[in-house]
Amino acid sequence: MTDKTLPRGTSGAPPARFDGDKALALVCVGVPLIGLVLFFLYPMAIVFLRSITTVDGEYGLSNYAEVLGSSGFWRATRHSMIMGGATTLLSVVLGFIIAHGLYRCAFRGKRLIRAVIVLPLLAPSLVQALGLIFLLGRNGVVNQLFGVEMEIYGFWGLLIANTLYALPQAVMIIGAALVLLDARTYEAAEVMGASPMRQFRDLTLPAARFGILNAAFVVFIITITDFGNAAVIGGDYSVLATEIYSQVIGQRNFNMGAVVGIMLLLPTVAAYYIERRAMRLQGRHPVNAQRFVPRFTPARDLPMAGLNLLICLAVLSVIAIVFYASFVRLWPYNMSLTLKHYDITLAGGYSSLWITIWISLAAAAGGTFLVFLLAVGLRRAPAMLAQPLQVLAAMPAAVPGMVLGLAYILTFNSTATPLYLLYGTAALIGIVNFYHYHTQAFLTVMTGFRQLPSALEEAAGSLGAGLGRVAVNIIAPFVAPMLISVFFFLFMRSMVTLSAVVFLTTPDLSVAAVTIMRLDDAGLTSQAAAFSCCVMAVVAAALLGMKAILAYLGRNAGTGSDG
Amino acid sequence: MTTPVSVSRITASLLALGLAMPAAAGELTIYTALEEEELAAYTEAAQKALPDVELNVLRLSTGKLGARILAEADNPQADLIWGWAVTAMMDPRILEMMSSYEAAGVDVLPDRFRDPENRWFAPIGYMGAFCVNKPRLEEKGLPMPTSWADLAQEGFKNEVLMPDPNSSGTGYLHVNAVLQSMGAEAGWAQLEAVDPNMAQYTSSGSKPCKSARIGEYTVGISLAFTAMQSIQEGYPLAMVFPEGGVGYELEANGILSSTDNAGDAQKFLDWTMSDEAIALYGEYKALVTVPGVGQSEAAAAAGLPEDIGTVLADVDFDASAKSQVETKKEWRERFGR
Repeated sequence: MTDKTLPRGTSGAPPARFDGDKALALVCVGVPLIGLVLFFLYPMAIVFLRSITTVDGEYGLSNYAEVLGSSGFWRATRHSMIMGGATTLLSVVLGFIIAHGLYRCAFRGKRLIRAVIVLPLLAPSLVQALGLIFLLGRNGVVNQLFGVEMEIYGFWGLLIANTLYALPQAVMIIGAALVLLDARTYEAAEVMGASPMRQFRDLTLPAARFGILNAAFVVFIITITDFGNAAVIGGDYSVLATEIYSQVIGQRNFNMGAVVGIMLLLPTVAAYYIERRAMRLQGRHPVNAQRFVPRFTPARDLPMAGLNLLICLAVLSVIAIVFYASFVRLWPYNMSLTLKHYDITLAGGYSSLWITIWISLAAAAGGTFLVFLLAVGLRRAPAMLAQPLQVLAAMPAAVPGMVLGLAYILTFNSTATPLYLLYGTAALIGIVNFYHYHTQAFLTVMTGFRQLPSALEEAAGSLGAGLGRVAVNIIAPFVAPMLISVFFFLFMRSMVTLSAVVFLTTPDLSVAAVTIMRLDDAGLTSQAAAFSCCVMAVVAAALLGMKAILAYLGRNAGTGSDG
Repeated sequence: MTTPVSVSRITASLLALGLAMPAAAGELTIYTALEEEELAAYTEAAQKALPDVELNVLRLSTGKLGARILAEADNPQADLIWGWAVTAMMDPRILEMMSSYEAAGVDVLPDRFRDPENRWFAPIGYMGAFCVNKPRLEEKGLPMPTSWADLAQEGFKNEVLMPDPNSSGTGYLHVNAVLQSMGAEAGWAQLEAVDPNMAQYTSSGSKPCKSARIGEYTVGISLAFTAMQSIQEGYPLAMVFPEGGVGYELEANGILSSTDNAGDAQKFLDWTMSDEAIALYGEYKALVTVPGVGQSEAAAAAGLPEDIGTVLADVDFDASAKSQVETKKEWRERFGR
């Protein structure tokens, strides 16, 4: 479709802008901005107030002094930074290998790789924890088979767990940079006799830099804020998220936890600024992008296919072993198979599954739309507004889910504002899910937009198309693959995320992740695993269904969609 | 404009409303940390006993529930707290939110199981225990540990798990019991002796037992409930109560003073001390503070002594609540990793 709207002679046409266009740009920025302010900035302001509320109920910095004066905090900070760095390095390298394999190489089975690589996103955190322990634990399959006793609890276990969880997100963002790389540049390079290695170094890497930096940023942030992995596999390797848990849950001291929560924003903002600075050195992307279709090159594709396969096998084995274990009578002591763990009656049984699907679909649809609006709006917004807005939009991932969930209680359980109407509703759960993952969604779409040739948009504009038409007819189809991955990402995470939601459920309104937690709390770990498998099956079925619909729509519209 | 049809329709709906009114008399929102299985049984019975009151029950673990109740403190959503750790309930910020009510039948409880101001009472409780994985114990050639001192033996190096008292109420339950039963000095020395053998201090109270039952570690210092549930499921676990007494916790009930349905809330509290409720405690609980309640089947099967008092540490909950912050802090300085 791009060819039809390509520029012809555009020199003479004056930019035909109407006021309506400006208004639309304002709406594009304004609506997502209002959302960010109400559902992120406002709750975080309350967290900040709590962090400076002392024991006597007055405002002061004594909480900060206490936290900064404790050796535990500095140990956890050091651990978090090392862990964040190591996970970032590993995830971005592996993520690049996968994304490069998927979008720049020619081999079979990409669909399978794409399906496997997202598994950690649609798996409840319990699955990954159990999988790693069943596989690599002291009494795990590997140790049993080889008669060794490998120690997984601690740095290495945590690194593996964090990487598994971060990898699909790195692939999503780096993929957004690679999928749209202009084919013509490569043709030109080919004609000029540049070797594949040279093409990779001089074309692919620089072009993917935005994606790589964004991915690194996201991975670092989600690693330093994640509590689940640290709790189950981190052993004694205390990190900042465990510090927060200990304060907020263990000692019922939200104000002290809030201090650490606020401090977590600092490395985030710093990392984001460093990233933006690095980005400025890089120019914009070539003009007329055309989808790159890689040809089979054995020297490149065979090793890439091998690496991809290996990474996917590792990811798959962790999930598969839990799937298998959900049918095992008593892992690891009675390995006979049974369906009994699927007979779930406690903790509300399967009833929470259906409402969770609706909430997740709403969060994904609404979220994707808002992020798209924001990205479109940012292209037109003055730098003065655009820059702080970008930082704000990239920040939510820096807030641990636990802090966000409690912040939502403090904010929305107050009759002082009409927002109180949201408290205890499914809508608020959908909203917290979206804002919890706002960063990833936003940066993926931004990475995709980066590849959008601005000439295309300008040309369309100069031909008289208003912003609305440009957005719908030119930008949206171009970034459609990103929007689809963002939609699926938000859907999958909303289905299984627990940390924030657990504080917002009510007696009448529970979600699947909470049921899993309750089953596990009751000691019924196998049932929790069985329920998790049902959730994964439902999510997978929903994804396949949606892909089928997209493929059908794509065919009817005459464009292929392979998101 | 008014037609006969619409008049009759209005009358009908008024009638329906009138009829519906008494049935919708009351709703109660109840926050609880009771375990799922007993919770389902108690709730069903309570709902039958109070057919006019709709019971909406939210279950969260002790720690998460505390965070939630405190976050909601400016506009509490719950009418009642049911079956929640008394150590948490005795937090002054929580006590401030509770109203005073002497439930019918509560006078049978010994004084130490109820608040002098009637803001809470605790007819039931739960206890700590060691979860010992028998195959792993055998494989390592270790003797069955029967006390905290046993866990300090060389052979248990990196084979013991325990919850961190700063993150988990269960962790605090154990630390407090050791300190109170042995005295502060000997108690700290005992914890110090076991520390090198601790493979991890976990953030969850049940995790040590869950890790031990699948053979990841030999001993999980955890909860009797998880031990009994695991043994019932068939895991090769032994439940051990350390000599000198194991820690325990009371599960308290109380009404929030913010409730707009105090009448029904009081009826519910009365029910928790009814004969029916007490009989149910006897079925599910290892620890019932109501005098004269027999031992549950599950407890007997898991090897709990008939007189539970013989294995419990002598815990002073008032002192424990008061020294909580200091104890946790000192623990952190000594053993924080």
